[in-house]
Amino acid sequence: MTGKKSYMALIVVGLLFGLMLSMQFRVTRENIANTSVERIRQLTAEVEQTAEKRDALRDRIDELRKELDEIASLTRHDRLRSELELVRMQAGLLPVTGPGIEVTLNDSPMALQPGQNANLYILHDEDLLKVLNELRAAGAEALAINGERLIASSEVRCIGPTVLVNKTKRLTPPYVITAVGNPETMTAALKMKGGVLETLEFFNIQASVKKINKVIVPAYTGPTGWRHARPAGEGVTQ
Amino acid sequence: MRGKRHASIAVVALILGVLLALQFRVSSEPQPAVASGERARELTNDLSELRKEKNNLALDVADLEERVMTARQGIAQAEGAIINEIEKHRVLAGLTAVAGPGVEIILQNVQRAEQPTEDVALFAIRDEELVRLVNELRGAGAEAIAVNGQRLMGTSEIRLAGPFVNVNLTRISPPYQVQAVGDPVVLHSMLELPGGLVETLRDWGIDVQIEVLEELIIPAYQGTVRLEYARPYKEGD
Repeated sequence: MTGKKSYMALIVVGLLFGLMLSMQFRVTRENIANTSVERIRQLTAEVEQTAEKRDALRDRIDELRKELDEIASLTRHDRLRSELELVRMQAGLLPVTGPGIEVTLNDSPMALQPGQNANLYILHDEDLLKVLNELRAAGAEALAINGERLIASSEVRCIGPTVLVNKTKRLTPPYVITAVGNPETMTAALKMKGGVLETLEFFNIQASVKKINKVIVPAYTGPTGWRHARPAGEGVTQ
Repeated sequence: MRGKRHASIAVVALILGVLLALQFRVSSEPQPAVASGERARELTNDLSELRKEKNNLALDVADLEERVMTARQGIAQAEGAIINEIEKHRVLAGLTAVAGPGVEIILQNVQRAEQPTEDVALFAIRDEELVRLVNELRGAGAEAIAVNGQRLMGTSEIRLAGPFVNVNLTRISPPYQVQAVGDPVVLHSMLELPGGLVETLRDWGIDVQIEVLEELIIPAYQGTVRLEYARPYKEGD
């Protein structure tokens, strides 16, 4: 064997070893990346399962409420039955209908110039809060956003590109707010000079208001019991 | 001599091989790990909120099952069960005074004597800030909230009307007192979040005092609930 040949062989073997070594390392790295994909898959499955169980519980609650209503209507509890219906309506536990408006809001469709702040031209939770607050001030009796009823404890928060409502409901644009109330008053409040819609238009955010004869606002479907608050003092029973 | 030469060539070739592979890897590998970390966090949050919701709904089911069972026993029992259900919903709606642990926040405009020419309005508390503060508290799981003694319902506004802020059509004025019943630790940490709303308000020179309380009482809504337009929606309506 000549010296040259053995050098060549050594070089080739060495190169191969080096490549293999690095490949090995890379494969383990990929595994790490894959486990995070795997984790997402698991989490997603878990989220879906939990949501299914939650939905089953919701159906059961509907059933039980109906059962209780039936018992109430059987006997002389008619007054109590209508009181129960009223308080459910006030709490947001019944779907309601009536005259009202539908407000549709969407991010600016404008193509941004380089250097412009994109954040200024997309909808924020603040904007939604302002619109909702304006509607409340104009006498809205029931409110929902993308089909999620807003009750006394409901929040509207931006989480990344989505809006989170009632703790577990993720909404994506366009945002459609439905409100039962006086359509004229609510529309005028939103369209007031220097009002909410004018501010949003400044940022090119798309907003439209539609008066509707019969708008439907769905019921709140989340939990109704509190863990920290308990009835206090007088006025507990009437 | 010859062995040494062989060895050094082998080492150089090995290193070259590693470098080659590394080069290839750097130029070709995308980085999914960062994005999926974000996603995992989001999903984990969703999951824990969903579990909480599920557990609380299970409590609702247990409550209702008990009520239906009681109601079947007789007229008097049925009455009692329905009254209990009404009471529970009155609490949810804000029609009953409630007690529990929580936080109390006092907000006050601070006079900036050292900068008399500055536009004061920029640093004053507006309705918007109160709306956002209330929203943060709701997000942190507050169960009942009052602003200057006005219990917040699902339809309560916090809105500038002339120089004053109206809540439930009632005029309130500073200092603003926001009370919330809920998990005090969660409420407090949400408020004190670095870069959060409270920090921004403080940066604007607004005096924000937060007090954690073991027990506070939140009054009931005092107005009459007006439902002139809304009526229950029935299937096929």
